[in-house]
Amino acid sequence: MKPYRNAAWLLMLPAVAVMGFVAVLPLVAVFNYSFHDIFSLDSASWVGADWYTAIMLSPRFWTSLCRSAAFSALALGVQLPLGIGVALMLRGAGPRVAILMLMCVALPLAVPANMIAGLWLALVRSEGLAGQALAALHFDFDYKFTAAHTWILILLVDTWHWLGLVVVLAYAGLTSIPPAYYQAAAVDGASRVAVFRLIELPMIAGTMWIVLLLRLVDTFMIYTEVMMINAGGPQDATTFLSLDLGEEIKAYSYGTAAARAMVDFLIVLTVVWIFVQLRKSDQSAGTEPI
Amino acid sequence: MNRASLLTLLACGALAGFILLPLAQAVVLSFTSTLGTPEMPAGALGFHNYVNIFQTPALRASIINSLIYVLLNVAFCLLAALPAAYALARYQFVGDRHFLILLLAFRVTPSVVLSLPIFILFSRAGLVNSPLGIALVHCVFNLPIAIWILESFIAAIPRAYDEMAFIDGHSGPSFFARFLVPAIAPGIAVAAFFCFIFSWVEVVFARILTVTGGKPITMAISALFSFQTDWGLVMAMTVFSMLPGVLMIFLIRNHIARGFVVRT
Repeated sequence: MKPYRNAAWLLMLPAVAVMGFVAVLPLVAVFNYSFHDIFSLDSASWVGADWYTAIMLSPRFWTSLCRSAAFSALALGVQLPLGIGVALMLRGAGPRVAILMLMCVALPLAVPANMIAGLWLALVRSEGLAGQALAALHFDFDYKFTAAHTWILILLVDTWHWLGLVVVLAYAGLTSIPPAYYQAAAVDGASRVAVFRLIELPMIAGTMWIVLLLRLVDTFMIYTEVMMINAGGPQDATTFLSLDLGEEIKAYSYGTAAARAMVDFLIVLTVVWIFVQLRKSDQSAGTEPI
Repeated sequence: MNRASLLTLLACGALAGFILLPLAQAVVLSFTSTLGTPEMPAGALGFHNYVNIFQTPALRASIINSLIYVLLNVAFCLLAALPAAYALARYQFVGDRHFLILLLAFRVTPSVVLSLPIFILFSRAGLVNSPLGIALVHCVFNLPIAIWILESFIAAIPRAYDEMAFIDGHSGPSFFARFLVPAIAPGIAVAAFFCFIFSWVEVVFARILTVTGGKPITMAISALFSFQTDWGLVMAMTVFSMLPGVLMIFLIRNHIARGFVVRT
């Protein structure tokens, strides 16, 4: 058990100061702006909860919200099973192959965020490798005007970018399982499925929770890639929550933008809260690694 | 070779193909003259795009700008995270769990949400167009990561190690510098890697905080897009900007799989 010492806060001071300046202070400011009508920063008038009412009554907000939720569900449904599957495969392939492949899947993390989509656009345009291959197959891939194709491209790009994080952390969880567990399972004659369900999954759960949360929030608020690929089109088919917010900021409507930012922040906060509660019950159920 | 390992080999090959395909095309394009000049007709191969990077003052400056704020950010994050991670790993105190939850909340807060007030706040503090501003603001998402990673590495060291150092008369900064840092060196490398990467590739804050000057690499690449985009130069710049990240991935390859556990 760790000793109880409030003096430890002294060691926290630098971190608290930095987070206070770059995170808490701006958040308080957004909260304040969201109750004002702001023409310029010197002339703001109090409007109460007007912006919030307007957002709640706007059908556009609710459609964006559903769209973002759908995209998150789709992206997580693809990336988590795929990432865990790859990690399991690498665990079986031995450390040398595994490290080589981990380095490979981590590469997209080093690409500048605004070029992630750029690399793929270069690939699927008519002169690109994939563009030529698709043309040779007589497949009419049109991400500019066919909504389904835009969604597929965004999903593909996001998976390409972030699969590495899922694989690396899942692999990290798997390698921390003591060999004795596997030996015990072998003695019991447990099937491969049983080993995964009863040993591997519970043991990597601790690591996978954070991957789930990071991916959930990042896909829910995906911005740069979507903006680059089709700027929310065709006909708003890929206008997610963050694109709406970005538009309001660009239009200099600070008051509404601040209220939207607050709503988006509250959604994220709710997700984090649910996450923490779930983890608590998960830990008390005794599925955490010992 | 049995069937299972053949399947593994095929799957690894397919995955590597998927990951490397866009990068391979980028590398090929970066050596190709895409617009064509009198000396270099379109389609010709060579190093001219890379030479071009160093002959364009805006691109050269952007590399320096990016390097300055990313290194500053890594320094800030490590310096602030190390004592905090130590406190969280070794002691219980009032509000420690709330602090961790807050840290998690800020890590996942979308940049767009904070971009507006950060711009206003930083322009009042004179931090716009300066690498210092970007280095500070990137702490929003990097400091939590650094704290989590360092905390899990420190927690893995037995407390007796600290007590031995204290008995030898080391405390405060001398304990951190001479005992703790060497003991968790791989953890510091992993934390530095994640801070470096996330700061290097970030665009939302980097864009709003560089209105007229101090443009980073990401913004310099965006500025290259025009009616007639020189894709060769764009790709050369992209490939070039990946080099530090790729080098770091290679250097920490044996520690990258340690991962980190987020405490809540």
